[in-house]
Amino acid sequence: MMNTNDLIQRLSRDLAPVEPLWRPGRRAVAWLFAAAVYVAVLTALLAKAGAPLELAAPRVWLPHLTAIAACLLASWAAFASVIPGYSRLPAAWAAIGALVWITTVVVASRWHSDMATIVAARHEAACVVVIVLGGAPLLVAMAAMLRRGAPFTPGTTAAFAALAVGAITNIGACFWRPHAVDDVTLVWHGGAIIALVLACAFSARLVPTAIGARLSRSP
Amino acid sequence: MTAPAQPSDALGRLMRAAQEGDAAAYAELLRAIAPQVRRIVVRQRGFAGIADVEDLVQDVLLSVHAVRATYDSSRPFVPWLLAIVRNRLADGARRYARTARREIHVDESEVTFFEVETNTDTAELGDADAVREAVRALPEGQRQAIELLKLKELSLKEAAEASGTSVGALKVATHRAMATLRRALAPKR
Repeated sequence: MMNTNDLIQRLSRDLAPVEPLWRPGRRAVAWLFAAAVYVAVLTALLAKAGAPLELAAPRVWLPHLTAIAACLLASWAAFASVIPGYSRLPAAWAAIGALVWITTVVVASRWHSDMATIVAARHEAACVVVIVLGGAPLLVAMAAMLRRGAPFTPGTTAAFAALAVGAITNIGACFWRPHAVDDVTLVWHGGAIIALVLACAFSARLVPTAIGARLSRSP
Repeated sequence: MTAPAQPSDALGRLMRAAQEGDAAAYAELLRAIAPQVRRIVVRQRGFAGIADVEDLVQDVLLSVHAVRATYDSSRPFVPWLLAIVRNRLADGARRYARTARREIHVDESEVTFFEVETNTDTAELGDADAVREAVRALPEGQRQAIELLKLKELSLKEAAEASGTSVGALKVATHRAMATLRRALAPKR
């Protein structure tokens, strides 16, 4: 075992300056801005002609507004979770944001289909692809930003990151082709986002954390 | 968990200077927090031996080093440090539990060490002066490899960085050095 004083000397000997990370809120806003541009471009590229959405109706725009808020709060929570000793307030706000978003979607949706109809709506599978594959670059970008921090709780961090990605790509998935604000959309889109969050939360525990990787590189 | 002896804003200032590349401030900071971290580790892991405690302290210092960019100088230093300590202690406990599950403890059999017949040639290499002399007699490259890898116990990667040679060259030098030492220290029959 190395002497602790020797370790201190070695750590400080070739110390390189580091740029302190931006505050979590600022990083979240920067990421959301980039994500919004990306989703807008993706939606424009994929857009299919069809009946225009009634954007003036609150039941159409309100869930998207709360989705943007949920996305911002979830990304704030993700970035805050990689700062040691940071308050848990962002995590609580992210949970509230997600709850408000889900509530508005549930309230705004028209409930008229039975389970068989919902399952049979295979055309919604394309939206699942848009949410998952379209969200992958955003997830990679956020993972790269998160790895600069200290992901001590990788599962939680990844869950918040996936929630943020799911919330923003869901907007694209709702606009790339005409959608009804109904239970079919809710189940398929919601299911895709829940699956994304769970997959990220569980797989993040299997991936070596940034701190582990950096410890192995430390002098 | 205890608060450091120095005012936390002083520690924060040192960390801010360290983030800008001030090596002296960084060394001062690490020297200031090491005893505090050691106290916390001893309190939390009273059953651990000295070596285990130092392992954990060094783990915390390495973590501080690895994530120093996450420190925000507008926020207090101590909660930041304590969060790292808590995480490394929890991680250390998990690692210990995993190791304990995988390994079978075998009691040391002292007889093996006292019976002359059971001792091998390696037991006769206990002459530290002879080993030191043999290492000193090695060619420069081989001596450096032995010193870095066997005496300072660096990893191959670390030793390669320290010596400015490749990992492959270090392996070859170590292999040759060990062969030379084995010959030099072999008992004269």
